[in-house]
Amino acid sequence: MYDIIILGSGPAGLTAAIYASRAGLKFAVIEKEYLGTGQIAFAERVDNYPGFYGTDGYSLGEKLREHAETLGTEFIEGEVAALAKSGSVWNISLSDGGKLEAKAVIYALGASPRKLGIKGESEYLGRGVSYCALCDGAFFAGKTVAVIGGGDTALSDALYLSKTAEKVYLIHRRDTFRANKTLSDKVKAADNIELVLNAVPTEIAGGENAEIIIITHDGTSRAVAVSGIFVAVGTVPNTALVKGIAELDETGYIKAGEDCVTAAAGLFAAGDVRTKNVRQVITAAADGANAVISAGKYLDNYQ
Amino acid sequence: MPARITAAEFETEVLGAEVPVLADFYSDSCIPCKRMSPILSQLETEYAGKLKIVKINTNFESDLTEKYGVLAAPTLILFKNGEEVSRIRGAVKKDEIIKIL
Repeated sequence: MYDIIILGSGPAGLTAAIYASRAGLKFAVIEKEYLGTGQIAFAERVDNYPGFYGTDGYSLGEKLREHAETLGTEFIEGEVAALAKSGSVWNISLSDGGKLEAKAVIYALGASPRKLGIKGESEYLGRGVSYCALCDGAFFAGKTVAVIGGGDTALSDALYLSKTAEKVYLIHRRDTFRANKTLSDKVKAADNIELVLNAVPTEIAGGENAEIIIITHDGTSRAVAVSGIFVAVGTVPNTALVKGIAELDETGYIKAGEDCVTAAAGLFAAGDVRTKNVRQVITAAADGANAVISAGKYLDNYQ
Repeated sequence: MPARITAAEFETEVLGAEVPVLADFYSDSCIPCKRMSPILSQLETEYAGKLKIVKINTNFESDLTEKYGVLAAPTLILFKNGEEVSRIRGAVKKDEIIKIL
Protein backbone atom coordinates (compact mmCIF):
# COMPACT_ATOMS: atom_id res chain seq x y z
CA MET A 1 0.00 0.00 0.00
CA TYR A 2 1.19 3.49 -0.85
CA ASP A 3 1.46 6.26 1.72
CA ILE A 4 0.19 8.74 -0.87
CA ILE A 5 -1.26 8.39 -4.33
CA ILE A 6 -1.14 11.64 -6.27
CA LEU A 7 -3.84 11.92 -8.91
CA GLY A 8 -2.73 14.20 -11.74
CA SER A 9 0.63 15.16 -13.26
CA GLY A 10 0.20 18.91 -13.74
CA PRO A 11 2.17 21.49 -11.73
CA ALA A 12 0.26 20.67 -8.51
CA GLY A 13 0.74 16.90 -8.82
CA LEU A 14 4.40 17.19 -9.88
CA THR A 15 5.20 19.55 -7.01
CA ALA A 16 3.46 17.17 -4.60
CA ALA A 17 5.70 14.42 -6.01
CA ILE A 18 8.82 16.52 -5.32
CA TYR A 19 7.76 17.12 -1.71
CA ALA A 20 6.62 13.52 -1.15
CA SER A 21 9.93 12.24 -2.45
CA ARG A 22 11.93 14.53 -0.17
CA ALA A 23 9.74 13.44 2.75
CA GLY A 24 10.75 9.83 2.08
CA LEU A 25 7.19 8.66 1.51
CA LYS A 26 6.07 5.72 -0.60
CA PHE A 27 4.08 7.37 -3.36
CA ALA A 28 3.16 7.34 -7.04
CA VAL A 29 1.66 9.78 -9.55
CA ILE A 30 -1.25 8.70 -11.73
CA GLU A 31 -1.10 10.43 -15.11
CA LYS A 32 -3.99 10.35 -17.55
CA GLU A 33 -1.76 11.14 -20.49
CA TYR A 34 1.61 9.47 -21.10
CA LEU A 35 4.30 12.02 -20.07
CA GLY A 36 1.58 14.64 -19.57
CA THR A 37 2.01 17.85 -17.58
CA GLY A 38 -1.54 19.19 -17.57
CA GLN A 39 -2.97 22.39 -18.96
CA ILE A 40 0.24 24.40 -18.58
CA ALA A 41 1.70 22.64 -21.64
CA PHE A 42 -0.80 24.53 -23.78
CA ALA A 43 0.22 28.01 -22.63
CA GLU A 44 2.07 29.73 -25.43
CA ARG A 45 4.04 31.86 -23.01
CA VAL A 46 4.39 32.00 -19.22
CA ASP A 47 5.76 35.25 -17.88
CA ASN A 48 4.63 35.09 -14.27
CA TYR A 49 6.40 32.08 -12.85
CA PRO A 50 9.38 33.36 -10.89
CA GLY A 51 12.76 32.46 -12.34
CA PHE A 52 11.40 31.43 -15.74
CA TYR A 53 10.61 34.70 -17.49
CA GLY A 54 9.78 34.26 -21.17
CA THR A 55 9.34 30.49 -21.08
CA ASP A 56 6.58 28.63 -22.88
CA GLY A 57 4.24 26.43 -20.88
CA TYR A 58 5.35 23.20 -22.50
CA SER A 59 9.00 23.73 -21.51
CA LEU A 60 8.06 24.73 -17.99
CA GLY A 61 5.96 21.57 -17.65
CA GLU A 62 8.88 19.46 -18.90
CA LYS A 63 11.18 21.09 -16.31
CA LEU A 64 8.73 20.31 -13.51
CA ARG A 65 8.40 16.76 -14.71
CA GLU A 66 12.15 16.28 -15.03
CA HIS A 67 12.54 17.55 -11.46
CA ALA A 68 10.01 15.01 -10.16
CA GLU A 69 11.59 12.22 -12.26
CA THR A 70 15.09 13.01 -11.00
CA LEU A 71 13.87 12.56 -7.44
CA GLY A 72 12.64 9.07 -8.33
CA THR A 73 8.92 9.57 -8.88
CA GLU A 74 6.97 6.51 -9.98
CA PHE A 75 4.49 7.42 -12.72
CA ILE A 76 1.53 5.19 -13.49
CA GLU A 77 -0.33 5.83 -16.75
CA GLY A 78 -4.05 5.54 -16.25
CA GLU A 79 -7.34 7.32 -16.01
CA VAL A 80 -8.95 7.25 -12.58
CA ALA A 81 -12.39 5.66 -12.90
CA ALA A 82 -13.41 5.60 -9.24
CA LEU A 83 -12.23 6.70 -5.84
CA ALA A 84 -13.62 5.21 -2.62
CA LYS A 85 -12.60 4.81 0.99
CA SER A 86 -13.08 1.61 2.94
CA GLY A 87 -12.15 1.96 6.58
CA SER A 88 -9.03 4.07 6.49
CA VAL A 89 -7.81 2.84 3.08
CA TRP A 90 -8.36 4.74 -0.15
CA ASN A 91 -9.10 2.52 -3.15
CA ILE A 92 -8.29 3.93 -6.57
CA SER A 93 -9.69 2.14 -9.61
CA LEU A 94 -8.28 2.85 -13.07
CA SER A 95 -10.27 2.61 -16.28
CA ASP A 96 -8.03 -0.23 -17.55
CA GLY A 97 -9.02 -2.30 -14.51
CA GLY A 98 -5.93 -1.49 -12.40
CA LYS A 99 -6.44 -1.04 -8.65
CA LEU A 100 -4.29 0.81 -6.12
CA GLU A 101 -4.45 1.35 -2.38
CA ALA A 102 -3.19 4.32 -0.41
CA LYS A 103 -3.35 5.78 3.06
CA ALA A 104 -3.82 9.28 1.64
CA VAL A 105 -4.78 10.77 -1.72
CA ILE A 106 -3.73 14.08 -3.21
CA TYR A 107 -6.36 15.02 -5.73
CA ALA A 108 -4.83 17.25 -8.40
CA LEU A 109 -6.80 16.44 -11.55
CA GLY A 110 -7.00 20.04 -12.74
CA ALA A 111 -9.58 21.39 -15.14
CA SER A 112 -10.70 20.68 -18.71
CA PRO A 113 -12.03 22.96 -21.44
CA ARG A 114 -15.70 23.73 -20.91
CA LYS A 115 -17.97 22.46 -23.67
CA LEU A 116 -20.74 24.50 -25.23
CA GLY A 117 -23.16 21.64 -24.77
CA ILE A 118 -24.98 22.30 -28.04
CA LYS A 119 -26.13 20.07 -30.86
CA GLY A 120 -23.38 19.11 -33.29
CA GLU A 121 -20.50 20.00 -30.97
CA SER A 122 -19.28 16.49 -30.24
CA GLU A 123 -20.32 15.18 -33.65
CA TYR A 124 -18.02 17.65 -35.41
CA LEU A 125 -15.09 17.43 -32.99
CA GLY A 126 -12.00 17.13 -35.22
CA ARG A 127 -14.19 17.89 -38.24
CA GLY A 128 -14.27 21.62 -37.72
CA VAL A 129 -14.85 21.90 -33.98
CA SER A 130 -11.66 22.46 -31.98
CA TYR A 131 -10.61 23.45 -28.45
CA CYS A 132 -7.06 24.29 -29.55
CA ALA A 133 -6.43 27.12 -32.00
CA LEU A 134 -2.66 26.59 -31.87
CA CYS A 135 -3.12 22.95 -32.86
CA ASP A 136 -5.68 23.25 -35.60
CA GLY A 137 -5.63 26.88 -36.78
CA ALA A 138 -3.45 26.13 -39.80
CA PHE A 139 -6.14 23.93 -41.36
CA PHE A 140 -8.39 26.93 -41.75
CA ALA A 141 -6.00 29.23 -43.58
CA GLY A 142 -7.95 31.34 -46.06
CA LYS A 143 -11.27 30.17 -44.59
CA THR A 144 -13.91 31.65 -42.30
CA VAL A 145 -13.94 30.57 -38.67
CA ALA A 146 -15.79 31.37 -35.46
CA VAL A 147 -14.30 31.72 -32.01
CA ILE A 148 -16.66 31.38 -29.04
CA GLY A 149 -15.87 33.14 -25.77
CA GLY A 150 -14.83 36.45 -24.25
CA GLY A 151 -11.84 35.71 -22.03
CA ASP A 152 -8.09 35.89 -22.63
CA THR A 153 -7.99 32.53 -24.38
CA ALA A 154 -10.84 33.33 -26.76
CA LEU A 155 -9.39 36.70 -27.75
CA SER A 156 -5.84 35.46 -28.20
CA ASP A 157 -7.24 32.57 -30.27
CA ALA A 158 -9.17 35.05 -32.42
CA LEU A 159 -6.03 37.12 -32.99
CA TYR A 160 -3.93 34.06 -33.76
CA LEU A 161 -6.51 32.80 -36.28
CA SER A 162 -6.99 36.23 -37.86
CA LYS A 163 -3.43 36.06 -39.18
CA THR A 164 -4.22 33.12 -41.47
CA ALA A 165 -8.01 32.86 -41.75
CA GLU A 166 -9.94 35.00 -44.21
CA LYS A 167 -12.40 36.06 -41.56
CA VAL A 168 -12.99 35.43 -37.86
CA TYR A 169 -16.34 35.81 -36.10
CA LEU A 170 -15.87 36.34 -32.38
CA ILE A 171 -19.09 35.25 -30.70
CA HIS A 172 -19.59 36.29 -27.10
CA ARG A 173 -22.66 36.15 -24.87
CA ARG A 174 -22.07 39.60 -23.29
CA ASP A 175 -21.28 43.02 -24.73
CA THR A 176 -17.99 43.37 -22.86
CA PHE A 177 -14.95 41.09 -22.72
CA ARG A 178 -13.43 39.55 -19.63
CA ALA A 179 -10.10 39.47 -21.46
CA ASN A 180 -7.39 42.02 -20.64
CA LYS A 181 -7.47 45.43 -22.32
CA THR A 182 -4.41 44.89 -24.53
CA LEU A 183 -6.06 41.87 -26.12
CA SER A 184 -9.46 43.58 -26.45
CA ASP A 185 -7.89 46.58 -28.17
CA LYS A 186 -5.99 44.39 -30.61
CA VAL A 187 -9.11 42.37 -31.43
CA LYS A 188 -11.17 45.51 -32.03
CA ALA A 189 -8.44 46.88 -34.30
CA ALA A 190 -8.16 43.73 -36.42
CA ASP A 191 -9.73 44.20 -39.88
CA ASN A 192 -10.93 40.66 -40.35
CA ILE A 193 -12.42 40.00 -36.90
CA GLU A 194 -16.17 40.62 -36.70
CA LEU A 195 -17.60 40.88 -33.20
CA VAL A 196 -20.93 39.16 -32.63
CA LEU A 197 -21.91 40.27 -29.14
CA ASN A 198 -24.81 39.40 -26.83
CA ALA A 199 -25.13 36.26 -28.88
CA VAL A 200 -24.98 32.55 -28.10
CA PRO A 201 -24.30 29.64 -30.45
CA THR A 202 -27.15 27.15 -30.39
CA GLU A 203 -26.23 24.53 -33.00
CA ILE A 204 -23.41 23.36 -35.26
CA ALA A 205 -24.41 21.71 -38.51
CA GLY A 206 -22.87 20.51 -41.75
CA GLY A 207 -22.13 17.43 -43.84
CA GLU A 208 -18.94 15.38 -43.40
CA ASN A 209 -17.40 18.49 -41.79
CA ALA A 210 -18.91 21.42 -39.94
CA GLU A 211 -20.29 24.11 -42.28
CA ILE A 212 -22.68 26.25 -40.27
CA ILE A 213 -23.05 27.67 -36.78
CA ILE A 214 -26.45 28.88 -35.66
CA ILE A 215 -26.33 31.98 -33.49
CA THR A 216 -29.19 33.25 -31.36
CA HIS A 217 -29.34 36.93 -30.61
CA ASP A 218 -32.29 38.74 -28.99
CA GLY A 219 -34.55 35.78 -29.61
CA THR A 220 -33.80 35.53 -33.31
CA SER A 221 -31.54 32.94 -34.89
CA ARG A 222 -29.33 33.11 -37.92
CA ALA A 223 -27.01 30.66 -39.61
CA VAL A 224 -23.44 31.73 -40.26
CA ALA A 225 -21.28 29.78 -42.73
CA VAL A 226 -17.96 28.79 -41.14
CA SER A 227 -15.41 26.03 -41.70
CA GLY A 228 -13.98 26.03 -38.20
CA ILE A 229 -15.43 26.60 -34.74
CA PHE A 230 -12.96 27.26 -31.92
CA VAL A 231 -14.46 26.92 -28.46
CA ALA A 232 -12.79 28.90 -25.63
CA VAL A 233 -15.44 29.31 -22.95
CA GLY A 234 -13.35 28.62 -19.88
CA THR A 235 -12.68 25.45 -17.97
CA VAL A 236 -14.49 23.14 -15.58
CA PRO A 237 -12.76 21.45 -12.62
CA ASN A 238 -12.35 17.68 -12.95
CA THR A 239 -14.06 16.90 -9.67
CA ALA A 240 -16.80 14.44 -10.70
CA LEU A 241 -14.93 11.62 -8.92
CA VAL A 242 -15.22 13.22 -5.47
CA LYS A 243 -18.91 14.13 -5.60
CA GLY A 244 -20.41 12.70 -2.45
CA ILE A 245 -16.92 12.17 -0.93
CA ALA A 246 -15.61 15.70 -0.44
CA GLU A 247 -17.58 18.93 -0.23
CA LEU A 248 -17.89 20.93 -3.46
CA ASP A 249 -18.93 24.54 -3.92
CA GLU A 250 -21.78 25.48 -6.28
CA THR A 251 -19.39 25.73 -9.26
CA GLY A 252 -17.85 22.32 -8.66
CA TYR A 253 -14.59 23.21 -6.91
CA ILE A 254 -13.49 21.15 -3.91
CA LYS A 255 -13.85 23.15 -0.70
CA ALA A 256 -10.41 23.34 0.90
CA GLY A 257 -8.19 26.04 2.35
CA GLU A 258 -4.51 26.72 1.82
CA ASP A 259 -3.71 23.50 3.74
CA CYS A 260 -5.60 21.58 1.01
CA VAL A 261 -7.55 19.66 3.68
CA THR A 262 -10.98 18.54 2.39
CA ALA A 263 -14.09 17.32 4.18
CA ALA A 264 -12.91 13.72 3.61
CA ALA A 265 -10.16 12.53 5.97
CA GLY A 266 -7.01 11.62 4.04
CA LEU A 267 -8.09 13.37 0.84
CA PHE A 268 -6.24 16.56 -0.06
CA ALA A 269 -7.18 18.87 -2.94
CA ALA A 270 -4.39 20.66 -4.83
CA GLY A 271 -4.28 23.01 -7.82
CA ASP A 272 -7.15 24.10 -10.05
CA VAL A 273 -9.65 21.74 -8.41
CA ARG A 274 -9.56 23.66 -5.12
CA THR A 275 -11.59 26.72 -4.09
CA LYS A 276 -9.18 29.66 -4.36
CA ASN A 277 -8.82 33.14 -5.79
CA VAL A 278 -5.90 32.69 -8.18
CA ARG A 279 -5.49 29.67 -10.44
CA GLN A 280 -1.97 29.85 -11.87
CA VAL A 281 1.10 27.61 -11.96
CA ILE A 282 2.53 29.25 -8.88
CA THR A 283 -0.54 28.63 -6.74
CA ALA A 284 -0.80 25.07 -8.10
CA ALA A 285 2.83 24.46 -7.09
CA ALA A 286 2.17 25.97 -3.66
CA ASP A 287 -0.80 23.63 -3.22
CA GLY A 288 1.35 20.63 -4.14
CA ALA A 289 3.72 21.50 -1.29
CA ASN A 290 0.97 22.25 1.22
CA ALA A 291 -0.96 19.09 0.35
CA VAL A 292 2.06 16.89 1.12
CA ILE A 293 2.73 18.66 4.42
CA SER A 294 -0.93 18.19 5.41
CA ALA A 295 -0.88 14.57 4.24
CA GLY A 296 2.29 14.04 6.29
CA LYS A 297 0.52 15.23 9.43
CA TYR A 298 -2.41 12.93 8.62
CA LEU A 299 -0.03 9.97 8.15
CA ASP A 300 1.68 10.67 11.50
CA ASN A 301 -1.62 9.85 13.22
CA TYR A 302 -2.72 7.19 10.74
CA GLN A 303 -4.30 4.05 12.10
CA MET B 1 11.77 8.10 -34.37
CA PRO B 2 9.48 8.06 -37.42
CA ALA B 3 10.88 9.95 -40.41
CA ARG B 4 9.28 13.10 -41.73
CA ILE B 5 8.33 12.91 -45.39
CA THR B 6 7.30 15.52 -47.95
CA ALA B 7 4.49 15.53 -50.51
CA ALA B 8 7.01 14.48 -53.19
CA GLU B 9 7.82 11.30 -51.26
CA PHE B 10 4.21 10.49 -50.34
CA GLU B 11 3.49 8.41 -53.44
CA THR B 12 6.38 5.98 -52.94
CA GLU B 13 6.71 6.07 -49.15
CA VAL B 14 3.02 5.77 -48.32
CA LEU B 15 0.80 4.80 -51.25
CA GLY B 16 3.32 2.42 -52.80
CA ALA B 17 4.59 0.85 -49.58
CA GLU B 18 4.48 -2.91 -49.18
CA VAL B 19 3.52 -2.78 -45.51
CA PRO B 20 0.68 -0.76 -43.92
CA VAL B 21 1.65 2.85 -43.26
CA LEU B 22 0.52 5.01 -40.37
CA ALA B 23 0.79 8.66 -41.40
CA ASP B 24 0.94 11.17 -38.56
CA PHE B 25 -0.29 14.58 -39.71
CA TYR B 26 1.20 16.89 -37.07
CA SER B 27 2.19 20.50 -36.56
CA ASP B 28 5.02 22.07 -34.58
CA SER B 29 2.78 24.30 -32.48
CA CYS B 30 0.58 21.39 -31.41
CA ILE B 31 1.22 20.07 -27.89
CA PRO B 32 -0.92 16.92 -28.25
CA CYS B 33 1.28 16.09 -31.28
CA LYS B 34 4.40 16.35 -29.11
CA ARG B 35 2.76 14.04 -26.58
CA MET B 36 2.10 11.46 -29.30
CA SER B 37 5.68 11.50 -30.53
CA PRO B 38 7.26 9.08 -27.99
CA ILE B 39 4.28 6.72 -28.40
CA LEU B 40 4.77 6.59 -32.17
CA SER B 41 8.49 5.93 -31.66
CA GLN B 42 7.65 2.97 -29.42
CA LEU B 43 5.19 1.60 -31.98
CA GLU B 44 7.78 1.95 -34.73
CA THR B 45 10.14 -0.31 -32.77
CA GLU B 46 7.45 -2.76 -31.62
CA TYR B 47 5.98 -3.17 -35.12
CA ALA B 48 9.28 -3.07 -37.04
CA GLY B 49 8.92 -4.78 -40.42
CA LYS B 50 5.12 -4.98 -40.13
CA LEU B 51 4.23 -1.31 -40.12
CA LYS B 52 5.81 1.88 -41.35
CA ILE B 53 5.21 5.16 -39.56
CA VAL B 54 5.79 8.52 -41.26
CA LYS B 55 5.28 12.08 -40.10
CA ILE B 56 3.77 14.80 -42.26
CA ASN B 57 4.18 18.39 -41.12
CA THR B 58 0.86 20.07 -41.86
CA ASN B 59 2.41 23.55 -41.79
CA PHE B 60 4.47 22.68 -44.87
CA GLU B 61 2.29 20.12 -46.65
CA SER B 62 -0.98 21.95 -47.04
CA ASP B 63 -1.74 20.15 -50.33
CA LEU B 64 -1.64 16.74 -48.65
CA THR B 65 -3.54 18.06 -45.66
CA GLU B 66 -6.25 19.43 -47.93
CA LYS B 67 -6.35 16.33 -50.13
CA TYR B 68 -7.02 14.10 -47.11
CA GLY B 69 -9.37 16.58 -45.43
CA VAL B 70 -7.32 16.79 -42.25
CA LEU B 71 -8.94 19.27 -39.82
CA ALA B 72 -7.33 18.29 -36.51
CA ALA B 73 -3.79 17.81 -35.32
CA PRO B 74 -2.66 15.18 -34.75
CA THR B 75 -4.58 13.08 -37.28
CA LEU B 76 -3.38 9.52 -37.80
CA ILE B 77 -4.33 7.87 -41.08
CA LEU B 78 -3.66 4.20 -41.69
CA PHE B 79 -3.01 3.28 -45.33
CA LYS B 80 -3.02 -0.26 -46.71
CA ASN B 81 -2.15 -0.85 -50.37
CA GLY B 82 -2.47 2.85 -51.08
CA GLU B 83 -5.94 3.17 -49.59
CA GLU B 84 -7.02 4.87 -46.37
CA VAL B 85 -8.48 2.20 -44.11
CA SER B 86 -8.72 3.99 -40.78
CA ARG B 87 -8.38 7.40 -39.20
CA ILE B 88 -7.93 8.79 -35.69
CA ARG B 89 -8.62 12.49 -35.06
CA GLY B 90 -6.81 14.02 -32.08
CA ALA B 91 -4.36 12.56 -29.58
CA VAL B 92 -5.24 9.15 -28.16
CA LYS B 93 -3.70 6.50 -25.93
CA LYS B 94 -1.32 3.91 -27.36
CA ASP B 95 -3.92 1.14 -26.99
CA GLU B 96 -6.33 3.00 -29.22
CA ILE B 97 -3.75 3.18 -32.00
CA ILE B 98 -2.96 -0.53 -31.62
CA LYS B 99 -6.70 -1.27 -32.03
CA ILE B 100 -6.75 0.07 -35.61
CA LEU B 101 -3.52 -1.63 -36.71
